[in-house]
Amino acid sequence: MPPVIIGSGVNGLVAAFYLAKAGHRPLVLERRGIVGGAAITDAFAPGFRAPALAHALGPLRPSIVRDMELERRGVRFVQPDPRVTALSPDGRALPLVRDPRQAANAIRAFSTSDADRYGDFCTALGRTAGFVDRLMDMTPPSIDAPSKGELWELLKIGRQFRALGRTDEFRLLRWGPMAVADLVGEWFESELLQGVIAAQGIFGTAMGPWSAGTGAVLLWRAAADPVPGGSSVTARGGPGAVTHAMADAVRDAGGEIRTNADVVGIAVRDNGATGVVLADGTEIPASAVISSADPRATFLRLVDPIDLEPGFLTRIRNYRMPGTVAKVNLALGRLPSFKGMDAAPAGRLHIGPGIDYLERAFDASKYGELPAAPYLDATIPTLQDPSLAPAGKHVLSVYAQFMPYALRGGASWKDASGTLGDLVIETLEHYAPGLRSLVEHRQVITPLDLEQTWGMTGGHVFHGEPSLDQLFTMRPTLGWAKYHTPIARLFLCGSGTHPGNGLTGTSGRNAAREIARALKP
Amino acid sequence: MNYDVIVIGGGHNGLVHAAYLARAGRKVLVLERRHVLGGAAVTEEIFPGFKFSVCSYVVSLLRPEIIRELDLPRHGLEILPLDGTFTPMPNGDYLWRVNDHAKTRREIARHSKLDAEAYDEYGKAMVDMGRFVKPILTMTPPDPTTLAPRGLKDLLFLARRFQALSPGDQYNQVQLMTMSAVDFLDQWFETDVLKATMSASGIIGTFLGVRSPGTAYVLLHHYMGEIDGAFRSWGLSRGGTGAISNAIAAAALEAGVEIRTRTAVSKIIVKDGSAAGVVLDNGDYITANVISSSVDPNLTFLKMVGTEHLPDEFVEDVRRYKFRGSSGKVNMALDALPDFTCLRGPGAHLRGAISISPSVEYMERAYDDAKYGHFSRRPYIDIVIPSLTDPSVAPPGKHVMSCFVQYAPYHLKDGTWDDQRDAFGDTVVNTIAEYAPNLKDIILHRQVVTPLDLEREWGLTEGNIFQGELTLEQLFFLRPAPGWAQYRTPIRNLFMCGSATHPGGGIMGAPGRNAAMTVIGGRS
Repeated sequence: MPPVIIGSGVNGLVAAFYLAKAGHRPLVLERRGIVGGAAITDAFAPGFRAPALAHALGPLRPSIVRDMELERRGVRFVQPDPRVTALSPDGRALPLVRDPRQAANAIRAFSTSDADRYGDFCTALGRTAGFVDRLMDMTPPSIDAPSKGELWELLKIGRQFRALGRTDEFRLLRWGPMAVADLVGEWFESELLQGVIAAQGIFGTAMGPWSAGTGAVLLWRAAADPVPGGSSVTARGGPGAVTHAMADAVRDAGGEIRTNADVVGIAVRDNGATGVVLADGTEIPASAVISSADPRATFLRLVDPIDLEPGFLTRIRNYRMPGTVAKVNLALGRLPSFKGMDAAPAGRLHIGPGIDYLERAFDASKYGELPAAPYLDATIPTLQDPSLAPAGKHVLSVYAQFMPYALRGGASWKDASGTLGDLVIETLEHYAPGLRSLVEHRQVITPLDLEQTWGMTGGHVFHGEPSLDQLFTMRPTLGWAKYHTPIARLFLCGSGTHPGNGLTGTSGRNAAREIARALKP
Repeated sequence: MNYDVIVIGGGHNGLVHAAYLARAGRKVLVLERRHVLGGAAVTEEIFPGFKFSVCSYVVSLLRPEIIRELDLPRHGLEILPLDGTFTPMPNGDYLWRVNDHAKTRREIARHSKLDAEAYDEYGKAMVDMGRFVKPILTMTPPDPTTLAPRGLKDLLFLARRFQALSPGDQYNQVQLMTMSAVDFLDQWFETDVLKATMSASGIIGTFLGVRSPGTAYVLLHHYMGEIDGAFRSWGLSRGGTGAISNAIAAAALEAGVEIRTRTAVSKIIVKDGSAAGVVLDNGDYITANVISSSVDPNLTFLKMVGTEHLPDEFVEDVRRYKFRGSSGKVNMALDALPDFTCLRGPGAHLRGAISISPSVEYMERAYDDAKYGHFSRRPYIDIVIPSLTDPSVAPPGKHVMSCFVQYAPYHLKDGTWDDQRDAFGDTVVNTIAEYAPNLKDIILHRQVVTPLDLEREWGLTEGNIFQGELTLEQLFFLRPAPGWAQYRTPIRNLFMCGSATHPGGGIMGAPGRNAAMTVIGGRS
């Protein structure tokens, strides 16, 4: 009997690959007809294809790229520079390139003192996020009874913490619980720069820049790529090209992938998982069941509540997944031109010029309303891969936030999706006049679609709020952060486990390590 | 004349500090700028016949060991019970929680049967958590970057204590330290008004909303009282909060402390990296072996010491220490009692706290206004009518009403606090009048205390009532500055003993006492 993996997103595929390498022959079951979960490239209008959801990678952990031989399999990673360009309502633009000195030159147009401090900030962020990155590879230790191996790991981490030196040690301790608005406020005065950096602390969350703990989110994201403003790594053809190659790697390693296989239940006997049940009633026996679905979907939808202890169920019910991200893909007749930019924007575009702007966008969502001015993060993937659109035409891929999963007064997203599409185009129009008239088609993916089509409960793109109480040893809940679950031979490997920081594959790889150990005869 | 210790500031922490030092044989001088002792724990007769607890208005967590060791009851301290919290609602209903558990359970059941059941469990869990946290209040925070054996021992003590908790309690504890009050309460309760009024305790004095992570922790404070003995911790002091300060001052005087009011310190003199004395604003110079400052770090370091004596990194830490006052006070002299539409007449519901916190959304919207530099159009108000419990504070038949109001951001977007004073006072009166319409007709006198007043008159920078935000990055070993959480400062023989040090604000007295232990222990 093979171990069965539920879901073929990045983490599911990575887990499958490493389990296959460890000698198991995993079977990956994907509900949809296409492999890749949130990392897919899909047609959305005649002749137009787009990264349906994610348009940038975490980035993936280099070791995973190496082990899965993704480049040999044809993936062309691209790292546009500038990584991100922040757009200002006054028509100016601030590009942040990788090189801190060059970036500082661009910042100087907005603030001399910010330009002077930028280099130091890059260094401080690099050092502190570098430490956080070490935690990412760890299986979170038990707090109440750490094993010898865990104590040894903790000791090593402790030494690495000390090696940071007093200034950065305290920085790390302060930054984590801080509001990211305060964090950027301590360094910078320019609203545009504050906004583009702070956005890394709130993307995908139901927290505004003034929410405490968003400093930790910034560090958690920066661990994957410690550049202020975030990563822009993607692949030619979009993240779908990556999962496509990952699927090949899984098959080559001896795994099997089945699409259109909708798992509706996990069979449990004698408190151990014995297999999965598909929508058509087929039962597939399994030596282990590994779910890359989110914790709520796994325990509240796939497992019969009778098989779980009530206290654990309560905790999973209290696991917070308030989705706030929507996705809008636009088919454009030609390349739009953004104010303040001479060249086409190769990296990400950031619309969220300042802390107040971002916080106001968040405020509305607290009451179940759409913001008047949303925070947007956009890319034009056709610049890297023109084949995604007919000749001369382009695709604009836009994340829009804060779009609350639960609308006020029980209103339906089915009715509100048009409003959302209009709102995004209207917002873009301020920064790229004339864009509206270029739109030939649009695809609007609401938080409800994220739940219904992609299976993310609450539409939460990280499979659970990355708040301090749901990270590391608490992800998804204290005592169950080691990829095991209260049901024997049922494991988690998705973003709802540590670290879960975007499309990095780290959760899947960490999980595979623990699962392979547990499945050893 | 040379003193062993000069204490700057005669607030409750400064006085506690002085009393402990004197009892340990030190020759202590306390210098207070105002004409009256107590700092923000002060009673003043603002309007003839009416005594207002002008700033701080309830006894929150005054440490029982301080009451005992300084024998405060003998020095006149008498704490009267403040029973219950009454929350009127716009729909004509109300929520009225009292100390009597069975009664409260019945009242909550009126709103939700499930919540009534959860309330028991919640109470039990919180008492357990309170037991865990309590010893941390009286401990000197360890330095997490240290390699010194004592620091490591303290860190290990904390780790062990945490490990000793049951898995369920560990889970709760982690949640309490990191979550927002509303998210935490959402896990237990469904009644909106219950969550709103309970979560209010998490935001008092902070620039955070009830949905801001980090606000859950303060929920605990309400339960620590049960451990100390119900009435001790939450109550009114007979004669107003100033009576607490007076009792502590009496204990200090008895122990031999010398206290001077109307004596403002303008400079702390530093010689060869060591504090040598203070210069008063009249130019007098008083020397001492040790200076303890109970005023906030902004005044202590940037005004009195001067940056030239301090390491750059420390100056930077002090500069970015967040004050951001967010609250004000409106005190009223009343001709009669307010009459609440949802529960008419002068019943027992007026004898406890009256909380204007009708819904979570109301609370959150109040915060939204403040984030952009406006006082809340409809603020959260915590009302107490002390004259019902302690008739000595008002003429017969008349009353004083103390209204704590949030949010009132120190930094206003438009205008100054002096221009906005009346508008702010009107907002408070109008808000309460929505629930008790007779209020407007019974006001004899109204005193509005703005964040700017708190700064100018009480020396609280930016009007922060806790001498600095009680956010996670400014608590415990980070309060007031990373590496300087042990009551010591970069200047030898200069100590801190006010609310800006661990465990922070409120009429607790713990910073003053903890700091005294440090000075006595000579750990410098």
